[in-house]
Amino acid sequence: MNVERLATTWALFQALLVEAMPFLLIGVVLSSLARWISPGGRWVRSLPSHPLMGPLSGAALGFALPACECGNVPMARHLLVKGAPVATALGFLFAAPVLNPIVLASTWAAFPDQPWLLAARPLGAVLIAVALATLLRLLPDTELLQPALLEERRLSQPLDEVNLLERRGGLIGSPATAAGTTTLGTTRRPPLGQVLSHGGAEFLELGLLLVMGCAIAALVQTLVPRQWLIAVGGAPTLSILSLMLLSLVVSVCSSVDAFLALGFAAQVTPGAVLAFLLLGPVMDLKLVGLFGVLLRPRAILLTAGAASLVVLLISQWVNLLLL
Amino acid sequence: MGQPSPALIPRRRPAGSGLLQRLEPKVLKALALALWGIALLQSALSGRLDLLLRAVFHPLVWASGILLLLMAAVEIRGRRGDDNRTCGRWTTWLSIGAALAVLALPPRPSFADLAANRQANLLEEPGLSFVLPPAQRSLTDWVRLLRSDPDPSLHAGNSVRISGFVLPMPGEEPHLARLLVRCCLVDAVPVGLPVRWPDDRPTPRADQWLSVEGVMESETVAGRQRSVVRADRVKAIPRPRQPLEP
Repeated sequence: MNVERLATTWALFQALLVEAMPFLLIGVVLSSLARWISPGGRWVRSLPSHPLMGPLSGAALGFALPACECGNVPMARHLLVKGAPVATALGFLFAAPVLNPIVLASTWAAFPDQPWLLAARPLGAVLIAVALATLLRLLPDTELLQPALLEERRLSQPLDEVNLLERRGGLIGSPATAAGTTTLGTTRRPPLGQVLSHGGAEFLELGLLLVMGCAIAALVQTLVPRQWLIAVGGAPTLSILSLMLLSLVVSVCSSVDAFLALGFAAQVTPGAVLAFLLLGPVMDLKLVGLFGVLLRPRAILLTAGAASLVVLLISQWVNLLLL
Repeated sequence: MGQPSPALIPRRRPAGSGLLQRLEPKVLKALALALWGIALLQSALSGRLDLLLRAVFHPLVWASGILLLLMAAVEIRGRRGDDNRTCGRWTTWLSIGAALAVLALPPRPSFADLAANRQANLLEEPGLSFVLPPAQRSLTDWVRLLRSDPDPSLHAGNSVRISGFVLPMPGEEPHLARLLVRCCLVDAVPVGLPVRWPDDRPTPRADQWLSVEGVMESETVAGRQRSVVRADRVKAIPRPRQPLEP
């Protein structure tokens, strides 16, 4: 790698970081606000846990909490820690990056003449989220969630659901609330300064992971010639596969990826454009580090594999219909 | 090789480590937050952002920088004993390191290198609404026009006054090019015009910014007619403040 390429990689890294950091900050601010408005997080535990309604309601939360995929990680973490049903939190994690006003508006702004895309993108995102949530639910919590997160989560789960031995800290025998459950998290509203401080810590932790993700994405982008990724425009399946690969590598936020897709929309099949817009928000190189805060490595691999498969199927079907 | 193994060297504490150890986690955390805030604001102030991101997204960076500085201030003012959360020492130090690196090393992308890695001519523009007189068209205007009216005889003889960077092309003379960006540098795609460079000067080197005055001509390459800029006057210019075109 010569000096020029190194300089270019560094610039790409900074571009990715500067573009993603505001969105990460939006996510941190939103999850801090949620912590401030509802300190005990009781609303979180009243989210439905039904295998289908759970992911659907999680996905719908995206409309209330607009952030892109990196901003969604702190919010999903907040949901899981406060004891949200796992399927609901996963539905939120995977679908909310697409199902939010900002992303839908930017998709519409980029493709005003393609109404089918405006419908297919959110529908596809919901489908993927339900499929992934259903699949990941098959794993027991201990194999799905990071140990640290799991431990925090058990603290806010009702005692009658969690074995005392599984809960390694907290109070035993604290008074039950009216609903018959015990909440150990503080229910008094914390001062705003403390909430901000918590948000700061969260930003630094996730920001470091974002830095690593952006570095990997920038390196891969300079090492792999872009031609390899979009050379196979016209072929239905190959174009889908190549754009899926591109979305994994490019790693821009879901709030802006529609503008990027516009750049090569004319060269590739419509299914391939959809694949790019669907897979990027669920999985990309930049996200691997951030997801590590929530999920165990095996679950991340499973997510990547299953998401790719579902995206491939949806896009193939779209190509069959439209080509 | 030939050096004593690490175990034999008496472990000396580096100067100042006592101070570093004593720094409160709270102060460290505030420092990290402030550094990121400064890094974002500095890149917006110094014009680095013009190299990285389209102007539409700049206000987001401004707002984030200010918010991070605010968070740092809250952290410092917070009283001792507040159960404020801090992160691990390693996380904080690594974060500080990353922020310092971003502050200290400005982005200096090689546009030619970036462009060589990308497929050109990906943009499908909706029809042009109006066309400027030839001498006022920018390089991007020319490329768009040539794409919608590709017949070289339509443009031959028009005077050309454009600027861009030198993009080496395999198997032919370098083009003069610009980068088009929709969001950030990551999605930059090159657009370029073939140029017939003056004979009395050496071929320009890659990445150099030039302003070119000349005339549009048509030439036949591999049996196909295409438009080419005959450069009459070539001048080296500094990189423009906003090098990326929307």
